[in-house]
Amino acid sequence: MSDVTDEKQQQQVAFAMHTFERIHHVEFQRRFLTQETRHDGREFTQFRPTHVVKGAISTAQGSATVRIGNTTVVCGIKAEVSEPDVNSPDQGYLVTNVELPPMCSARFRPGAPSEEAQVASEHIHRLFNGTAGSKGVVDLRALCIEEGLAVWSLSADIVCLKYDGNIMDAAIVALMAALEDLGLPSAQLDPATGVVSADRTKAAPLVLNKRLFPATFSLLDDAYLVADADDAEEQLATASLLVVLDASNRGALANMWKRGAGRVSSQTIHKCIDCAAQRMEALIKTL
Amino acid sequence: MRPDRREDDEVRALHSVLGLLNRADGSAQFSSGRTSVYSGVYGPVGARVYDEKLDRAYVEVRGRADAGPAGTADRWTESAVRETFERVVAAQLYPRTMVQISVQVREDDGAVDAAAINATALALIDAAVPLRDTVAAAACAVREDGSAVADPTLEEIRDARSIHTFAFAASDVSNIADLTSASICPIYVDSRGEFSVAEYDRCFELCARAAQRVLAFIRTAIEDKVSKESQIAGSS
Repeated sequence: MSDVTDEKQQQQVAFAMHTFERIHHVEFQRRFLTQETRHDGREFTQFRPTHVVKGAISTAQGSATVRIGNTTVVCGIKAEVSEPDVNSPDQGYLVTNVELPPMCSARFRPGAPSEEAQVASEHIHRLFNGTAGSKGVVDLRALCIEEGLAVWSLSADIVCLKYDGNIMDAAIVALMAALEDLGLPSAQLDPATGVVSADRTKAAPLVLNKRLFPATFSLLDDAYLVADADDAEEQLATASLLVVLDASNRGALANMWKRGAGRVSSQTIHKCIDCAAQRMEALIKTL
Repeated sequence: MRPDRREDDEVRALHSVLGLLNRADGSAQFSSGRTSVYSGVYGPVGARVYDEKLDRAYVEVRGRADAGPAGTADRWTESAVRETFERVVAAQLYPRTMVQISVQVREDDGAVDAAAINATALALIDAAVPLRDTVAAAACAVREDGSAVADPTLEEIRDARSIHTFAFAASDVSNIADLTSASICPIYVDSRGEFSVAEYDRCFELCARAAQRVLAFIRTAIEDKVSKESQIAGSS
């Protein structure tokens, strides 16, 4: 008799907790944060389990699937031949695009790309292409087939399949892995016909200038700084900080991006950089 | 030696015009050297039902670059301005309304995101939208030799190893002598390229100092406007 009432009580408690989470979302999260823990049991500085699988898409020249907790992102890179820009006749292109389709989360409506997707696309594009003085991740000159006539254009599509927060980390890890997986077919331009022939059996990997490792931190409820916030926690975020380190350059910084008006002091930013370095070490070990 | 012979920590000549768009509630043009951005503020106005927030105003930013078709680069400028001002605007005073900010880049000669933020700060004050704080932004670039220069031109950005844009609130940096203090909170940070933590810290300090100058400039510009308006009011 007491077993049945215990079970019933447990069910009632679970139902009440679930309802509480839905109705008072902020309060629900606060219950955990004030106790210095998170709703999934993680520490404030703990990242979710991260898995990377390369070469999942056979029709793409390079691909990778990344899972950070429940956030799943797939990146496919197609290499196409095109004419180079008149101003840079010996350079190819790296075009990046981040897609957050409606299937990955109820947050995203069908139609034109959302603000979040466009900002993410632009950020990834700037991060991987670099400024003229600082080289990008890919040496665009290595994409040249015949100067002034034919170059490789790499179209990298980063598609989110399941959204549970921290799209930037997942997208950057996915694109890095896909670039590392990329096999560029050897190509030759026939000067007589102007046709480029490519031999897929002789594919060579790209030499990459940088090896980027991201870490995102979010300030929840203006008070708690957590690493790798999931979707539920992102709802409370008043600020977010993205730190990207370059493993090929002894952990130099490649990007610092702080958004939102929540207060994050200089001292906190330095702590985040240290935490990002630890995250980089951990990711290097798993990859 | 910089191409325009400025000191490393010297900002270009600042210039602004307030209230130049007569249909907007507030507007401003902010220029730093040849970089020039317009910002127009409309609001608080009625929000689309879709965008309405129950407890605060919805801050919308529309941005356009100086040339070329609309693209993701415009979204970037919009994002920089929106992230900075979304919570600086005292939005809780006007629930279920919208504050619409329109940013148009007139000319880009480097540090255009910082100019867009500064133009918007002036436009919001011109529109008399209540703000929690005055905000100013500044940019700097780190050259090949590791030295940092404030308010870089497009030419300096092209040769830079890293570019940094920071926005600060007046309450954080005005009248503060020690800008290396660990407790200063930047509102917006966008640093890209290849840089060390030491270079980041140097740029932080340089931009905080440049932001102090911009804040002083904003103050002067607003004081001029207020004194002109009170003269007109007094004489009529």
